[in-house]
Amino acid sequence: MRNRFDPTTLEIYRALYTSVAEEMGIALRRTAFSPNIKERRDYSCAVFDSNGRVIAQGDHMPVHLGSMPMAVAAALSELKMAPGDVVALNDPFAGGTHLPDVTLVMGVFGRDQVSGAKYQVPAKKKKNRHLTPHTRHPLFFVANRAHHADMGGATPGSMGLATDVYGEGLRLPPIRLVRAGEIVEDVMRLILANVRGHAERRGDFQAQIGSLKTGESRLLEIVARRGVTEAQEYALHLIAYSGRLMRHAIELIPDGTYQAEDWLDDDGISEAKIPIRVRIAVDGNRALVDFGGSAQQVAGAINAVEAITVSAVSYVFRCLIGGDVPASAGLMEPIEVIAPAGTVVNAVHPASVAGGNVETSQRIVDVLFKALAQALPDRIPAASQGTMNNLTIGGIDPRTGREFSYYETVAGGMGARANHDGMSAVHTHMTNSLNTPVEALEYSYPLRIREYNIRRHSGGNGRRRGGDGVVREIEALAPARMSILADRRKHAPYGQNGGEEGTVGNDIIIQQGSSRPIASKGSWELQPGDRVRIETPGGGGFGRSSGAREARRKHKA
Amino acid sequence: MANAKFPTARPVRVGVDTGGTFTDFVCEFDNRLHVLKLPSTPADPSTAIFAGLNRIAELAGVKLSDIEVVHGTTVGTNALLQRRGARTALITTRGFEDVLAIGRQARPELYNLDAVRPPALVPDSLRFGVRERIAASGEVLEALEDNELDALAAKLEAAQVESVAISLLFSFVHPEHESRIAESISALNIPVSISHQILPEYREYERTSTVAINACLQPLMGSYLKKLAVRAPKLRVMQSSGGSISAAAAADEPVRTILSGPAGGVVGALRAARSAGLENIVTFDMGGTSTDVALCDRAGLRMTNEAVVAGLPVAVSVMDIHTVGAGGGSIARVDEGGSLRVGPESAGADPGPACYGRSRLPTVTDAHLVLGHFGGSGLLGGEFPLDGQRAREAISMLAAEMSKAAGRKVSITDAAQGVISVVNTNMERALRSISVERGYDPREFALLPFGGAGGLHAIDLAIALRIPRVIAPTSAGALSAMGVVTADVVKDLSRTVMLEVAPGIDKKLETAFKELEQIAVGALRKEGFSESKQRRERSLAARYKGQSFELNIESPKGGSENIAASFHRAHQARYGYAQESDVVEIVSTKLRSIGIVKQFKEPRILGSRKSAWAKPHSSGVAYFDGTEHRIGIYQRDDLGAGMKLRTPCIVTEYSATTLIPEGAKARVDLFGNLIIELRDSKKSSSGRVARA
Repeated sequence: MRNRFDPTTLEIYRALYTSVAEEMGIALRRTAFSPNIKERRDYSCAVFDSNGRVIAQGDHMPVHLGSMPMAVAAALSELKMAPGDVVALNDPFAGGTHLPDVTLVMGVFGRDQVSGAKYQVPAKKKKNRHLTPHTRHPLFFVANRAHHADMGGATPGSMGLATDVYGEGLRLPPIRLVRAGEIVEDVMRLILANVRGHAERRGDFQAQIGSLKTGESRLLEIVARRGVTEAQEYALHLIAYSGRLMRHAIELIPDGTYQAEDWLDDDGISEAKIPIRVRIAVDGNRALVDFGGSAQQVAGAINAVEAITVSAVSYVFRCLIGGDVPASAGLMEPIEVIAPAGTVVNAVHPASVAGGNVETSQRIVDVLFKALAQALPDRIPAASQGTMNNLTIGGIDPRTGREFSYYETVAGGMGARANHDGMSAVHTHMTNSLNTPVEALEYSYPLRIREYNIRRHSGGNGRRRGGDGVVREIEALAPARMSILADRRKHAPYGQNGGEEGTVGNDIIIQQGSSRPIASKGSWELQPGDRVRIETPGGGGFGRSSGAREARRKHKA
Repeated sequence: MANAKFPTARPVRVGVDTGGTFTDFVCEFDNRLHVLKLPSTPADPSTAIFAGLNRIAELAGVKLSDIEVVHGTTVGTNALLQRRGARTALITTRGFEDVLAIGRQARPELYNLDAVRPPALVPDSLRFGVRERIAASGEVLEALEDNELDALAAKLEAAQVESVAISLLFSFVHPEHESRIAESISALNIPVSISHQILPEYREYERTSTVAINACLQPLMGSYLKKLAVRAPKLRVMQSSGGSISAAAAADEPVRTILSGPAGGVVGALRAARSAGLENIVTFDMGGTSTDVALCDRAGLRMTNEAVVAGLPVAVSVMDIHTVGAGGGSIARVDEGGSLRVGPESAGADPGPACYGRSRLPTVTDAHLVLGHFGGSGLLGGEFPLDGQRAREAISMLAAEMSKAAGRKVSITDAAQGVISVVNTNMERALRSISVERGYDPREFALLPFGGAGGLHAIDLAIALRIPRVIAPTSAGALSAMGVVTADVVKDLSRTVMLEVAPGIDKKLETAFKELEQIAVGALRKEGFSESKQRRERSLAARYKGQSFELNIESPKGGSENIAASFHRAHQARYGYAQESDVVEIVSTKLRSIGIVKQFKEPRILGSRKSAWAKPHSSGVAYFDGTEHRIGIYQRDDLGAGMKLRTPCIVTEYSATTLIPEGAKARVDLFGNLIIELRDSKKSSSGRVARA
């Protein structure tokens, strides 16, 4: 019986498949070349069943988690994968999210005696490598997604403010990067010719391929040990298991319809604020999430493709489950998402999308929590900083004569919770990347950090205080081009249950002793000695603060 | 009195480990090893220590003050876990005062809206910035002015701090500013921890955290060790790196002793393995609430500088011990989705598992009891009885929940077996992460279980990982004290140099190593080792330029080609590829200086006839892998050298139980170790083991 399972075996497979995804992540991190993958850990790895439905993911980047399945679906719909093939893609309109995030997908084929499936003729070359032929169809798929420090385009780091996707960099529809175990050099050369820091890019691609192979051999070990029938059956049970947990979590939300609206400051091209609206209808153990009424897609690069919107919904509802749940396809089974095409939450070709992944995703989370707070006022926190404060600086390093491209996202304040203040100086919601240590950064780039501290009193007041943001001030030691993609500079992170708003962020350029505020989205030229100062938003407060507490705080300050 | 018999005081060396419920003592005199266990006195560990030392002094006929004591301590770890350290100030470069509060800017749990981070070790009001700045090149960008120093001393005095940590940016390339600050506050007469002395390596958060931990623990550790040293002046302390150090040095750098106890266990395990003729081992120390695993090979113990203790990074060299939060007390439950979860919640020692009689919580220990794995005599040689009825009740409640989830009847033994299988899956993950994931093939290793529950799971895990041999060491209960007393004296020094490998680098490295060696020779001389009793190992932390994780390689003789070649080989071995055209960068020079300690003679145990079958003490019924077996129950103390055991069986000893299933071959070696050989596990059908 399909739906009969053994609780022990289910738990064992949960651990097995999750550890495959985690091992893939360790392999990737340890062998990658760019600080962005190694130091900041901006990547995700996942395991999929034979139909491309996700069964396990590592605890990596939340924004990747919900959107990886679409990448695998796109790869499967456009190409037929043979043993040893690896498909690469970053096309936001075919399974990707924004161009720097490149996803690699590989099929995991069993050996004939394992699966009992029909034989395929073994590859002519390297006869001694695999003595037994492969199964006709993959037993599993493995995929990883890494944020590459550059994917071409006008601005170093490919996170600039273009007005269409062509201006943002190199777009890869699903294509074979590896065929039958060999890198397709023609394709690799084409990619490397279009990106900055090509040696580092190649190293990172190799690390991604190595990580897929780690996943493949781990899965084949599981199959060898426990048998392919059980392994595939329990992949299905895991999906059903996540579905049950999610339905249970939704059941605990009072039935009803909850609506909210929040805004992105602007798109960097015009000054107009950009509304995102949501209506969540909870009925028993199912939820409908409708983004109808959100802004039409815009010229500036803050458009989110549908995969990102689904990721944000899946993140928010997963937070409601509590405890660790396999992030399998089952999570989204009881949830229907409606994101009208052509809006900022489901942008269509040829929209520019660099910031959809990093900025709009955060606002979608904010608006979802704002709506759910009406249903669960004691469980939902105030808004966190609501931006990733993307900063990219690139140019030529005078010490080596080589190109450099530095990318970083800066932490901020977390929203206060019913029982705790918000954390200060921390990444929230859709990202959890680490910072680049000051000393590592100054060894690697012609940059110097002038200040890196907590931005005091930027968190909102309340019974529980919002976390404080961060100040990071960077001096260029060589001519460089700097891009910022940030938000919450005009519309502050909201408080909850009477708590006050957090303080909005600021971006400042300091040139020859005088400082001037700059826009939250755009690119600037820096000369040696010029500094850029990022002050990130504080989180909102929770609950009305009592006068006594307020007085104490003032006294302290 | 006894001294009449021994006119000159003979050297007696005692290893003391205070980590657990018991304080363990191991010493050697009259050509015999002696083991003593006394109940620990957590409020003041020295009470139990002195009680034990007095007894040993009497037995050996020496004065307590003549005994050489080597101590494995958890005083530092516990203080850190409970945040009971000193009122500590932190001095940083201005503009970077919040380095400890920001950390690496990541949150601890992705999907937990109520997650909290532990507060910074040094609070806001005690973090002081000074105006100064040094560049990566060592150039002084902003000089440290004297008036800055005067103001600082006044502020520290007013804040009434008990200890000070100093950590300036790039101090390891230009230590002068830190030194001047230390000097200027010396009049305050409080302990000062200086980053370029404790950890002259780059990455400011990890370095500052290490130095701040040191400062926090210094007053506490200092007074604790002083108290011990008054009566036991020949005192040494075990470091987390697996070597010991004088009490004076430990009081100055307590951060190096933070994993003192677990490190002793691994050193003891390695010693036991070597007596059995093995070097490649994976240690498996499973207790009530957590389990420690570590890997040793020919090169010895594996080190890491990425340890995290109580949520705080400790970047000094420590033994690479991986801890999982699961043990005998882990609680089993069926979650809302119908999956059988075990841990991370633990019943601990109090209230403890259901069978301890104070709770109804179904735990791993209860599952073992239901399956007959304790041989019917309770724990601690029968001193601690177990309530079998209560265990059955707890597990049958669990079986009922499992039946509901599965939609069919799950028997009580299936439920108990399920709990064991799930916990084994979690343990297997931990063992994989230190072996397969780091490029080691488990088939070349032996598994060495210790701790109360290690032997209950070791064979299952060995089979799962295709480890061919399990060694249950003799006196497993006092392995840590054994390791502590036999560990060499070790001084680890390192310094970030950040040099590209190019012709001429050997001269620069030589200069750097010479500087470190000069410090080391002096330090070990202070510990009482003449230069002939010292040994030194040079190594390099290297990487491809552009990478951010270093690999440790032995410092090879010869010039830059040799260094590069040896790094390429190491990278190939660890990650499966090398990039020979890339530039190799030396991040730090590392020097391990060793004061060689005289080793005990390994005592042999008495044997009966060669390869005789041992006689079981009794027999019983137990479940192995879901099926019922009639089994022999052996008592460890009855087993003589060379004896063989009939399987399946259970071997019980004072503080541990070992399960041996059918088909395994078990025998006792000359030193009393129980050697269990598993039948050659067949090769995996994928043909090879995954390499990370």
